[in-house]
Amino acid sequence: MATPPTTTLVALRGAAIGYGGRPLLTGVELLVSPGDFLAMVGPNGGGKTTVLRSLLGALPLLAGQRELPRPLRVGYVPQRDHVDAIWPLTAGEVVLMGRTPGLGPLRRPREADHRLVAAALQRVGIGELAARRYGDLSGGQRQRTLIARALAAEPELLAVDEPTNGMDPAAELATMDVLRDLHAGGVLAVVMVSHRLDAVANYAHTLAFVDHERGLFRVGSLDEMLRPEPLSTLYGRAVEVREVGGRRLVQPVFGERP
Amino acid sequence: MSGLGSFLAAREIWQTPLVASVMAGALLGFLGVYVVLRRTVFVSAALTQLSTVGLVVGLFLEERLHEVPEHVHHQLGMAMGFAVAGALLLGALRPRRLPAEATVGAAWVAASAAVVLGISRLMHASHDLGGMVFGNAVAVPDDELWMIGGVALLCAALHLAFAKEIAFASFDPETATALGMRVRLWDAVLSLTVGLAIPASARALGALPVFALLTLPASAALLLGLRFRTVFVVATLLGVVAAAGGYLASWFAETPTGATMVLVAALALVPGALRRAKA
Repeated sequence: MATPPTTTLVALRGAAIGYGGRPLLTGVELLVSPGDFLAMVGPNGGGKTTVLRSLLGALPLLAGQRELPRPLRVGYVPQRDHVDAIWPLTAGEVVLMGRTPGLGPLRRPREADHRLVAAALQRVGIGELAARRYGDLSGGQRQRTLIARALAAEPELLAVDEPTNGMDPAAELATMDVLRDLHAGGVLAVVMVSHRLDAVANYAHTLAFVDHERGLFRVGSLDEMLRPEPLSTLYGRAVEVREVGGRRLVQPVFGERP
Repeated sequence: MSGLGSFLAAREIWQTPLVASVMAGALLGFLGVYVVLRRTVFVSAALTQLSTVGLVVGLFLEERLHEVPEHVHHQLGMAMGFAVAGALLLGALRPRRLPAEATVGAAWVAASAAVVLGISRLMHASHDLGGMVFGNAVAVPDDELWMIGGVALLCAALHLAFAKEIAFASFDPETATALGMRVRLWDAVLSLTVGLAIPASARALGALPVFALLTLPASAALLLGLRFRTVFVVATLLGVVAAAGGYLASWFAETPTGATMVLVAALALVPGALRRAKA
């Protein structure tokens, strides 16, 4: 595995984040370095995506600073149901869109761009689906298409929003395995958002618990965060972590409240 | 003289309106693909009404200021101003407590009421306005023809130059924003082209056919299950066929031009609908 350089890719320092001048969270400290695998976990509507958008610079901070030591190549994977499947685009055409920001206006994609698209589809295991209509693909195949589009941008940071939403357990595992394999190269940083701790507990190296209703934003290593105290802070009740077949399972303890 | 013979002999009468119809049909058919795919069909209806409000205001000012009536540049300028401002505003206004449809509905109904009120206040031009609203491409002055041609060229240039940016910002604005693209700029470029195309075409064809040509050819092309780029080509061609076919059909059948164009455009839906029914 290649040793990642230790420079910061992007960081939030004392950030207040929110919309319309109203902060959802304040004092947010978050740093992403090459090779990180960070998962932001919390309830639906808890502010995870808002933190992610602020980290990417798509949402201006209300206070604090966003540090970007150098221009950052980002790949972004939105929630699958945010992408309208009625558009008559093939998987290949969707992935080619990932090259658009890098090309800039007035420049058409060249042969090298098409090669990158084909390679990105191969990396996520759907190289044979390039000519299929995006709207005709299964949920898992659409998710892989969106991941391939993010990869086509040749990112240093891959930002993924709720990649396993609405998936059956097999498709969820397959999608998470794709992200793990992409990260395994050691240089690509992955930042993902999920409302299900279970889905990320076997993949992420760093966890951030986010819930603006309780003013919660806490970051730590997987081992630090999968302990009773931080977990009960996130869920408001006792939670246990068990290992079954080499995989971690995170479950609330029935009837117990802290 | 046969029907065809008398038609050819009257070339001086139909030549300019037919060319205007073809250009407007192509322009609206092309832009309609974005209108339909972005689910903004009723935005185009509201913009058509807003452009008519602009015409009414232009006519009203001409009457009150005793200017020469039927001053095409003045009226078109007002219509374009209203439509472009409406397009940009409807694109920018996203109240958090209301669904987008409510804003569009409010714009449409307010504009419709303004047109009715404006007509009631016009002393001389209310009859002309009826033709502009429901479609009456019988007589199109050269000025209007040049205006439609100019707008079509501008729209073609912008969409050719920024095709991939407009497509990405329309298809997935969330990702485009996250990747640092100026989505509002590309939305504004699209809004500008739609906002210019509607009044330029509506002055010649009427509001009803414009709305039809913005929705039906694109819908027909999409129903055929074609590839993305092919949809634009087929929608553009169907727009031409609907506008020119409707014009010619209305000539020979002696029916209202605008309504005939709408019906011909609606017929274009049949092959796609049959294909879907078989699938």
